[in-house]
Amino acid sequence: MEIKVKCRCGEEKCKEWAIVELQGVVEVQPEFQDSFRTLPMAKLCRPSSQENYTFSVGYHELSGSKVPLKKPFLVMKKIKHSIADKDGGDTSSVSKVELEVIGIVRHRILFKNRPKALISSSQPVVKAKLSAPGSVAHTN
Amino acid sequence: MEQSRPGCDGGAEAVINLQPNSTISIAYHPLFGPHDDMVLLELDEKLLPDVLDQRISLRGHLDEDAVLCTRSKTYAVKFVGNSNSVLLIPPSNQFSHESHIKKNTDEEVVASVIKVALGNMELVEIAPKVDKLKLLLSRNPLKLGELTETDDLDEMIDNDKSLYRWYDLTDMIQASDEELMTALNAFSAVEINGYWRIVDENYMDAILNILLQNSILNDWSLNALNEDEVLDVLESDGFTRKIARHCLQVYGFKVDGDSLWRLDERKVCVHFARGILRGGKMKMESFMEEWGRKVPERMSVNFDMLEGEVLTETLGIQTWVYAFGISSLPCDPAARFSALFHERKKWDWRDLNPYIRDLNVPGLSSDALLLKYTRRTQPTPDSEPVFTMR
Repeated sequence: MEIKVKCRCGEEKCKEWAIVELQGVVEVQPEFQDSFRTLPMAKLCRPSSQENYTFSVGYHELSGSKVPLKKPFLVMKKIKHSIADKDGGDTSSVSKVELEVIGIVRHRILFKNRPKALISSSQPVVKAKLSAPGSVAHTN
Repeated sequence: MEQSRPGCDGGAEAVINLQPNSTISIAYHPLFGPHDDMVLLELDEKLLPDVLDQRISLRGHLDEDAVLCTRSKTYAVKFVGNSNSVLLIPPSNQFSHESHIKKNTDEEVVASVIKVALGNMELVEIAPKVDKLKLLLSRNPLKLGELTETDDLDEMIDNDKSLYRWYDLTDMIQASDEELMTALNAFSAVEINGYWRIVDENYMDAILNILLQNSILNDWSLNALNEDEVLDVLESDGFTRKIARHCLQVYGFKVDGDSLWRLDERKVCVHFARGILRGGKMKMESFMEEWGRKVPERMSVNFDMLEGEVLTETLGIQTWVYAFGISSLPCDPAARFSALFHERKKWDWRDLNPYIRDLNVPGLSSDALLLKYTRRTQPTPDSEPVFTMR
């Protein structure tokens, strides 16, 4: 089986996507489990002209920086085309799979440290817990 | 309590171009989900033009690990997990969700996360997996009498006959187009009526002998064979031009432009040695005598020509020679060494080298290959090293 990698970007550059990477997991509180889509998760702030950033989730704040990826990431999406069977295609249909390049990532904003608590902060709508398990952070 | 305010959708651009002293909101995308059909592939910058020109594909059957092929190289695809949370943010206009997030410039800018990636795929350059090609082609070699000079296309087309077109092979073989073509040439395959075939030994033997006979009859020089002349004569002897030309390609090389061929002494001599040894092992003296007699008069044999083709063994005071051709061995290094040590428990370097020098594993030198698959022993500092199975 051969799966072709399609790219419709053509002569233009592929559209750039963004990555925000942090240690641990952002968890949605149980009461929002079914309706968290479109809700805010965090604030991303660039306090100075340097490529340093803060990421505030609930009353936790992470500090990190923008780092270029050594090699870019392609964002690819699997696409299935159904090809109708020659005999009318009522029961069996052959599907052809393709991968389409839908974006490229060249940088990530990396928060590799554990969060610090913000002492006084208003209660945000989606209280997201930030749990940092004892995992080893990426160091590049 | 603060209400969730839909803001202006800034997408990835808002994150990438975030200005000093500013803040944006990161939100869950209306289509946030696992999106298992969306993957990240780490790719060397130099491969990007191949992606843009759509020259990249994944190849392999469901039971094989997928490989990624560019036009000239093959890469293994490995999944690398990441214990960090990788929040993936698409550009603002990539997924339509107008109904959820209003474009309102008064509101704060929002960038939406569509999925949390659990890791990414990465590529490792590997040697093409061409052993399967050899297996497929050897199922139905072209036999003497199968083709006639009328070049009848329709008669040989039969789906059950293990015949493969180019696109059948790209579907089945984990190799890039260039590597596949190199392997087809290395296996002396020829495209006949759209199907890639290897040609049976007897067939090749017949056509080579007729070519050599004709060279004597017509007083042709084996160093300057005129292509048209050879093809005409072989055609009148019942061979198709395609096969006749294939014979020149297998046993010779082009000289001087495009119409003259020179027979390769080594290739022709090796052909006859193989033919002689097909009957089983022989005493060295009788083999050399018969070999020297079989080859064309203007060629002379030399035992060094048979590197990678034969092995010798000493029984009592007699040295025997027997066929052990590299072309019958797997191309995959692990399988190759396994086959070699199955044949012989111990190898000295002189014997071993011809059977492994064609192995080419990206990122692994030939010394590293030896270290990986063999154990090297040297009884005394001055003696030749001996290689055994690891």
